[in-house]
Amino acid sequence: MVPKALLNLPARPRLALSSRSMVTLAAHALFIVAFISMWEFAAQRGILDPTFFGRPSGIWNYLWTGFVTGKKLWLELGYTVTGALISFAAGSVTAIAFGLLFTTYPPLHRAAEPYLTLLNAMPRIALAPLFLLWFGLGIGSKIAVGVSLTFFIVLSATVAGIRGVASDHLILSKALGATPHQVFFKVTLPSAVPVIFSGLRLGLIFALLGVVGAELIAAEHGLGQTLAYLQSTFSMDGVMALLFLLALLGLGVTAIMNRMERALLSWQ
Amino acid sequence: MKDAASAREMATGRSTPLPAASGGPAILVRDLTVRFGGGAAPPVLAVDRVSLSLKSGEFVSLVGPSGCGKTTILNLLTGLLPVAMEGKVTILGKPPRPGNPDIAYMLARDSLLPWRTALGNAAYGLEIRNVPVQQREAQARELLARVGLADFCNAYPKALSHGMRQRCALARTFCLGSPVFLMDEPFGALDAQTKLQLEDVLMDLWSAAQRTVLFVTHDLAEAVALSDRVIVMSARPGRIIADVPITLPRPRSVRALQKDEEFHKLYARLWGLLEQGSGSNGS
Repeated sequence: MVPKALLNLPARPRLALSSRSMVTLAAHALFIVAFISMWEFAAQRGILDPTFFGRPSGIWNYLWTGFVTGKKLWLELGYTVTGALISFAAGSVTAIAFGLLFTTYPPLHRAAEPYLTLLNAMPRIALAPLFLLWFGLGIGSKIAVGVSLTFFIVLSATVAGIRGVASDHLILSKALGATPHQVFFKVTLPSAVPVIFSGLRLGLIFALLGVVGAELIAAEHGLGQTLAYLQSTFSMDGVMALLFLLALLGLGVTAIMNRMERALLSWQ
Repeated sequence: MKDAASAREMATGRSTPLPAASGGPAILVRDLTVRFGGGAAPPVLAVDRVSLSLKSGEFVSLVGPSGCGKTTILNLLTGLLPVAMEGKVTILGKPPRPGNPDIAYMLARDSLLPWRTALGNAAYGLEIRNVPVQQREAQARELLARVGLADFCNAYPKALSHGMRQRCALARTFCLGSPVFLMDEPFGALDAQTKLQLEDVLMDLWSAAQRTVLFVTHDLAEAVALSDRVIVMSARPGRIIADVPITLPRPRSVRALQKDEEFHKLYARLWGLLEQGSGSNGS
């Protein structure tokens, strides 16, 4: 998914934890253990109704059967992650291409802008029923929703990044006799990368959001579909487990993008 | 007013020698008039019949109040400013064009590319001019060493101070090996002390590789300390009101000059001329 060199970048000092961070870590562990114990205790005593809040042991059992004894959750996770990655790739590649096109031919951008603004103003999840009709219950409709979110975010970041190039850099390069090709690859593109990258980071998160949202509405597979099913069957342990899983997924996505950004943009 | 007029009479292109068939002036501007605007609004006369001529290897400063057209003249020489002009402008006998390899251009802001190291920035001009990588890096390293940045080749601009960044920009400019330098207030954004240091760096580099320099500034002390001649322009419309030879001996140390009597006399004289130039157009 990501080149290994990028992920390995700053080796995390797992063994050489300072005493200060050890204390912080211990405090976090203590808090989490206390929180879970109290939840479990409250659920057992009927203070918190497990029908509405689930219970930690039940959540754990659900995850264990889903990931270890059975493989069901791996499959659903796979559907969601695949959908998100395809949406992200397709949405951002087309968005960057359009961004380059629009900045090369500004009249085209001016002509297209009102329509793009209108489309972008639409709550994209509201398009899901339409996409379900067009692309079916499978992964296609999920990708369509994901792309519709990612595209606009990355497009506006690309346009902003390319427009934001410092005029001094352009003047200098032109005075030096840079060809338009040189100006683009040596000045415009590198200066736009940080802005495009922050667009990509948001784009990936929104791709995930779009896919899960569409799965919640109607699907055969995916974490969103599983969540909707568990909710309708009042299986709160499963719902809680899935929410936890989605949060972890979002966290993982952000962490990967952060690492890539640091590796690519060390000059910043 | 009268003095200014007579000084102009004395100084303007009327007495400028015409270019000889060979070994002509490095920079020649004759009867240059530039008007901005047009269309609905009446055009603004920005530069009015300016003539100047720089011999090869000469260091000439162009001073004047802001808006007097000194930067316009410089931009015309780079070929970056396609404005309606009358008169004649040549660099080494050729009309200006963008990307002229005979010209090295330096701006007030360092305009270093933040994603390139000092080395990459110093070599940038040569890279644009398609010099092979080994050659351009060797040259850039040498120039960085001469501006005092030998230990900062791999530093990114964000890690450099203002002064160091402008040193790097100087290295990039001198790396080019162009015979004609156009400098637009290259030290304008620096504090007084850093400025003096960099002026000395510039003097070192310049005397080692005799280049023709047209140096735009509004700092008279800087102009006097660096130049062979200082050309004073009036407020808009820009006219040349004086062309003063600076007879201070070379090599010069800009920092030592700060206490030199002759330096201060020249400074005072130029200041008087400049005051008249701005005053006569105040109304």
